[in-house]
Amino acid sequence: MATAVVARPVARPQPRARDEEVLVWPDLVFIEFISALVFTLALFALSLLVNAPLLDQANADVTPNPSKAPWYLLNLQELLLHMQPALAGVIVPTVWLVIMAAFPYFDQDNEGQGVWFGTENSVRLTVVSAIVAVVGTWLLILWDTGKIAMAMNDWFGISGGRTFAFLENVRALQSQLPWPEWSHRIPYLWFDLKILDEGYTGLGATSFHYLDLPGFLVEQAIPIAAMVGLPSLLIYALWKIGWVNTRRDAIIVLFTGFVAVFGVLTVTGTAFRGAGQELVWPWQLDVQEGIPGEGH
Amino acid sequence: MAVEQPARPTLADKIYDKLFHNYIWKSIFRTGYPNTPRNQMLIVATNVFLHLHPTRIHRTHVKITHTYCLGGLSFFMFLGLTVTGILLMFYYVPSVDRAYLDIQNIQTNVQFGQLMRNMHRWMAHAMVILVFLHMMRVFYTGAYKPPREFNWVVGVILLVLTFLLSFTGYLLPWDQLAFWAITVGTNIAGSAPILGPKTRFWLLGGFEVGQESLIRFYTLHVIGLPLLAAIFMAVHFWRIRRDGGLARPL
Repeated sequence: MATAVVARPVARPQPRARDEEVLVWPDLVFIEFISALVFTLALFALSLLVNAPLLDQANADVTPNPSKAPWYLLNLQELLLHMQPALAGVIVPTVWLVIMAAFPYFDQDNEGQGVWFGTENSVRLTVVSAIVAVVGTWLLILWDTGKIAMAMNDWFGISGGRTFAFLENVRALQSQLPWPEWSHRIPYLWFDLKILDEGYTGLGATSFHYLDLPGFLVEQAIPIAAMVGLPSLLIYALWKIGWVNTRRDAIIVLFTGFVAVFGVLTVTGTAFRGAGQELVWPWQLDVQEGIPGEGH
Repeated sequence: MAVEQPARPTLADKIYDKLFHNYIWKSIFRTGYPNTPRNQMLIVATNVFLHLHPTRIHRTHVKITHTYCLGGLSFFMFLGLTVTGILLMFYYVPSVDRAYLDIQNIQTNVQFGQLMRNMHRWMAHAMVILVFLHMMRVFYTGAYKPPREFNWVVGVILLVLTFLLSFTGYLLPWDQLAFWAITVGTNIAGSAPILGPKTRFWLLGGFEVGQESLIRFYTLHVIGLPLLAAIFMAVHFWRIRRDGGLARPL
């Protein structure tokens, strides 16, 4: 028996309209040549004006403060300050790359391709998502660094005192609330599951047995809820007011939000994180080198 | 009645004829000089470099604001990085004892060495930015839609490869910036659940950044990752042609 092939609509390249076409030589080759030339000259000029950085020779004993990853990874380094390292450094970027790669399989509608912002609403969706993401990310960073609580106190004289100290930042939920003793050791497996015996940290195997509830909330649950919940909430709100109508609309919100958050985190990590990864103004950035614990 | 006689060939015509209609030119380019539509199409179709293009293209696609040349420029950066990278390789030895001195040597003793290093560094940053902007262009023009789904996936892979190429190159100057950036970067990788420490050890060839890390990053940077990127780029470009060129409204 031959296997039945299920017929399914396949998108084909559109028929070609010859009268709408121009010759690649010279019309396209010329543009490519000029843009390559412009870039070569611009980079040549930049290279004449600005030298590539070269600091002192590498020294494992002298730790610069702050130590920073290359700029395009500073978004992850910024994320690391707010949640569990594995979540910020590995899981979030991996999951995001998979989600992004899956875009075309989620949105298979042919409409709106080949032109900038080809679908209805796409411009305002992009603008609104970008603004919401930029402002929202900044607010979250300011809250988690305790700057909002500080500003409320300094500028408006409003202080939560001891009662509301747990709202100062996300860590305070763990440290400022009277968590009962048992909540730090909730068994979720009936045996101690140990995986991999080695690790550069010297901490030994990863153990899966008990759950530290406050730690889990602060380092994993709340960040995940924020990263999944806030974009979902935005898409939901924009759907409610009738702006998001198609899958394309939804991923425009998602993608724009990603670009904006990526930008904010990169800029924050690059220009606003000083010694000890404290949040400072760009002109207060000052790299200190020294042996930890010895001062200069 | 006087019959109109063809004009006598001028000196320029004769030189032109000698230059472009001779045996050697034709043996290299097959076609004459591309000054007629026929020759212009033939030169694109018969030249290995130009045949990445179709011979004709929709008129909206040559508008600069449609693509801003971002994909092409990303590729151009890759080529420029290859050229400057090869020049730097002449003077650079990936050893913890020599690497830093070699960079200093490149900057001070080698003719145009500082310029080559600067070009390589700024082009690398430019490539990361251009690739990212290219991704945004493709997204906002809806160019990932059928039949180009998989090419978008290939693009995401190329984005990751671009980051990795840049990241592996970051260690090579062996200065404080390089050393600690890679320490921070690989610590991020090391924090992955379960596989993290293993991955970090495999990346660095040890528990901390040292000679083994340098040679690994160097090898990946100069041959492993460029080869991989070249393969994915070939697939990426090939599929653009197969899928009917750039996306167009229905």
